[in-house]
Amino acid sequence: MAKLIFLILTLIPILCTSFSPDKPSDRRILVLVDDFAVKSSHSLYFKSLQSRGFDLDFKLADDPKIALQRYGQYLYDGLVLFSPTIERFGGSIDAAAILDFVDSGHDLIVAADNNASDLIREIATECGVDFDEDYTAMVVDHAGYAVSSTEGDHTLIASDDFIKSDVILGSKKIEAPVLFQGIGHSLNPSNRLVLKVLSASPTAFSANPKSKLTSPPSLLGSSISLVSVIQARNNARILISGSLSMFSNRFFNSGVQKAGSPTKHDKSGNEQFLTELSKWVLHERGHLKAVNVKHHKVGETDEPSIYRINDDLEYSVEIYEWSGTTWEPYVADDVQVQFYMMSPYVLKNLANDKKGHYFTSFKVPDVYGVFQFKVEYNRLGYTSLSLAKQIPVRPFRHNEYERFIPAAYPYYGAAFSMMAGFFVFSAVHLYNK
Amino acid sequence: MARNLAKFLILFYTISICNAVTNPTPISDSHRSAALQLFDGSSSSLEESYEALRVFEILALENKPDSSVTACQKVVENLGSSSSLKDLFYALKVNGILKCKVDRGVFQDIASRLQATVNDASALVDMYYTIGSLVLIKDQAPDVDVLLADADGTFHSIKALSQSDGRWRYSSDNPESSTYAAGLALEALAGVISLASSEIDQSRVNTVKSDILKLFDSIQKYDDGTFYFDEKFGSGREHQGSLSTSSSVVRGITSFAAVTSGKIDLPGDKILGLAKYFLGIGLPGSAKDFFNQIESLALLESKRVPVPLVLSLPATVYSLSKKDQLKVTVNTVLGSAAPPLTVKLVRAFHTDAKDSAVIEGKELQYDQSSGLHVMGFPDNVDVGTYVFVFEMALHDSGSENDYAIGGQIHVPIYVTGIVKVSNAEIAVLGSDLGSDETQKTLDLAGTDVVSLSANHLQKLRFSFQLTTPHGHAFKPRQALLKLKHETKYEHIFVVGNTGKKFEIIFDFLGLVDKFYYLSGRYDIELTVGDAVMENSFLRPLGHLELDLPEAPEKAAHLPPLPVDPYSRYGPKAEIAHLFRAPEKRPPQKLSLTFLIVTLLPFIGFLVGLLRLGVNFKNFPSSALPATYAILFQLGAAAVLLLYVLFWLKLDLFTTLKALGFLGAFLMFVGHRILSHLASTSAKLKSA
Repeated sequence: MAKLIFLILTLIPILCTSFSPDKPSDRRILVLVDDFAVKSSHSLYFKSLQSRGFDLDFKLADDPKIALQRYGQYLYDGLVLFSPTIERFGGSIDAAAILDFVDSGHDLIVAADNNASDLIREIATECGVDFDEDYTAMVVDHAGYAVSSTEGDHTLIASDDFIKSDVILGSKKIEAPVLFQGIGHSLNPSNRLVLKVLSASPTAFSANPKSKLTSPPSLLGSSISLVSVIQARNNARILISGSLSMFSNRFFNSGVQKAGSPTKHDKSGNEQFLTELSKWVLHERGHLKAVNVKHHKVGETDEPSIYRINDDLEYSVEIYEWSGTTWEPYVADDVQVQFYMMSPYVLKNLANDKKGHYFTSFKVPDVYGVFQFKVEYNRLGYTSLSLAKQIPVRPFRHNEYERFIPAAYPYYGAAFSMMAGFFVFSAVHLYNK
Repeated sequence: MARNLAKFLILFYTISICNAVTNPTPISDSHRSAALQLFDGSSSSLEESYEALRVFEILALENKPDSSVTACQKVVENLGSSSSLKDLFYALKVNGILKCKVDRGVFQDIASRLQATVNDASALVDMYYTIGSLVLIKDQAPDVDVLLADADGTFHSIKALSQSDGRWRYSSDNPESSTYAAGLALEALAGVISLASSEIDQSRVNTVKSDILKLFDSIQKYDDGTFYFDEKFGSGREHQGSLSTSSSVVRGITSFAAVTSGKIDLPGDKILGLAKYFLGIGLPGSAKDFFNQIESLALLESKRVPVPLVLSLPATVYSLSKKDQLKVTVNTVLGSAAPPLTVKLVRAFHTDAKDSAVIEGKELQYDQSSGLHVMGFPDNVDVGTYVFVFEMALHDSGSENDYAIGGQIHVPIYVTGIVKVSNAEIAVLGSDLGSDETQKTLDLAGTDVVSLSANHLQKLRFSFQLTTPHGHAFKPRQALLKLKHETKYEHIFVVGNTGKKFEIIFDFLGLVDKFYYLSGRYDIELTVGDAVMENSFLRPLGHLELDLPEAPEKAAHLPPLPVDPYSRYGPKAEIAHLFRAPEKRPPQKLSLTFLIVTLLPFIGFLVGLLRLGVNFKNFPSSALPATYAILFQLGAAAVLLLYVLFWLKLDLFTTLKALGFLGAFLMFVGHRILSHLASTSAKLKSA
């Protein structure tokens, strides 16, 4: 836990140095496998990555020559761990090196399986995902299994409980259930960055499929997560799956029928689900940038160095989303700006012109001090935007107050009539005889 | 590597319980459609073209992509020029399938060139390609002379590279031995024998046969009866995977077996194990693996070695409610029909009771039309997981050596059925068990729910019965009762059983600590499920209003609950700043009225002065004092005017500056006129 806090603390100041900010998608990906047979048995998944322009470098996980960085420079932008049984990586890679890799803004895909090694479990735990501690346990679902004439132990699960997020899973609905066979995990409730993408059904449980349940299973029902994602504070993204076979060609191509459901799908949802998810993890979707932050008084165009209380001002910012190849305008109606000093004085939704330009106008509060324009945009699946711009606000100057107050006219009238009287009196007093 | 592969394969290809042997299914249509996807006719090299063509040939694909024109063009190019041995070899292989138009003279040229160099080659790979090419020319142009003059010498030079353990070296200056090379060498030796102009010494052939047997001693094995060849980890040459190694050995031994007359006494179970290995790979994703798998399987079926027969079950899950029949198919590895044989169910036992067989010694009926061996389930087979042990027996006992059928085959079988749920009762009991305060019966098949209330001194009892279709007690793998508090905190209990009856009693007094002293509404849910239970269910039973005592100070706190991610994100409520309200002011009319009131004394003053009859007789009459008097009065008026201006527009600094000048001027002229007036009045007094 302490390590996790440390991790998060160290993440904050580190900028994504790996990818150029102009092109946030990963390019070079290291794939570590237990055996090169995975390359062939999971080729559809790898092919979908390669066809999208990723440069995959396959290595055995215990290859003594593998390295993530050389001379302080990372050699890869992403890492795929398809080696659930590995006890020790070859070369200079260990769990800490992988976490450092993530700390510096790189992405990670981890697939475990029902004999996942301690090393893989440790990496997952550091990311806020706790696999079932029972090494023989698998996720079993006697009501939500995939109907199969050859697999009768109900460890092959057809799950369709997806996270409701278009940015993570794409805008096209995944019709067919996803086949899953492997171990379940739970999410650490104190970790706010980890999200359940694919959950088990309420009838599922995690236990050894060969033995009867004598004590309540540690993981049960829809609290079991089958596939989870994490977006770190530095926008590094991590995918953790309890099943390696769900990435395989066999599952990609197999048909699926969920128990109790009359519809039989010719093709499981695995390919769509995992391809869309990989687009998210590898920053082809949901990566935002904000540029051209501007603010000025209404009717002016230049940015002032200071505002006076009760000024009317206009604020605008441009937000774009990376589509994998270009920056597209981001359209949403929930971007908010705060005028902030210790706490927000003004919090306002920004209007947008559907071309990525967001704007609003408001009156500066009648409190002076040093304020900030803040845009804190944290949405499910999107990289977080955090913009802050400092601006002081001053009170009225002495001559900026109201001059002619009707309520004060009697006082003015008294004073001026007194002065006129004085003038008349002085003339009369001097020259009267 | 081998260790990892073993783990990997166990992971992916074996879903077995209780040490049962896996049952790979023969090559089927899924392989054919996968082949069309993998070999899409865009092969760049001759080797790839050959692999594609060979796979299409073996699988007898109808609608294969036609690339014969371009391939033939490449073949002719490569045969004509002096291309490398490897290209030549594969050009001839492609030609063997496509039968391109090649001049006899071209073959003659190549053959003479190869014959001249065959004895110069020192590396095994070169010899392999040379001899392989000559064999291919022999097949494609039978009238070309390809026979080796010094076949014995060639044979010897290849054999010289062999090692004592049956493996081969790649060349004489490379001490490392390899299983992959053994496959190449065996194929080359087979080529030499078929090319020999005179008979090869039989004793040499026999030593090679014993080499093959030695090679089989180093075969690797999985627990499930699968055999494969693997390369010992070596450096230097490119590492070959176990698939390509096994496939190279299979190619070697089958081609060697084809040219020798005598029998090679290959163990049938290892051949079967190899077949299982190739089938167990499933659908490979790369073209090379696919080719290796299909070609090896085709060679195993080519009758040069015992033909492996694969027993497979289209389904291992059978439903009692649908009255399924046990079905078994026996095929060769490529899916063609097996010779007439009987499949016998030796034994079938429940996985919990291994010693008592449910079925013993029963023959399956062969159904001619479907090609299946079938059997109905006898009445004593209830729902459960079983292991069925099969055995095959060939009708023609003479052909036993031609087929590898293996011994007993263990298959896990799931027999599923609908389990009857009955007699569900839920009751809140008083502190002593005797008095049922509220007892309610539930129909678990329906949807009715109960609502109960209890305090910490009471107990809750829930019971139900499960019966199999045959009337026996059924114990499901999963019988869980869940109590879910309003705060979403869940408590899970396993419902235990005695015989048919499942019962759980909650003594809330003992559970208050576990419940974190949380009173309120608890939803009750029952989950009953098993792999062989077709009607596994999750059913809400209702809710329980629980009244628990206040938590003592030292009681444990509720652990944190997972937060709903959707609520964590999303926009915040807008905040608008509340500006300070302007001060209350009197209405303008009132102010103006008071303004007039304040002006009244001044008017009264003016009227009073007129009434008193003021005059200006004292105004100086001489010019200079009169000027001073006028200037003084003008100066005083200017100061007063300045004050008006100060109100209207000027600021303090401009006003003070102007006042400074005016003040000095006013003082000068004021002093003058006042001293003049004073002297005038003094004169008057003295006069």
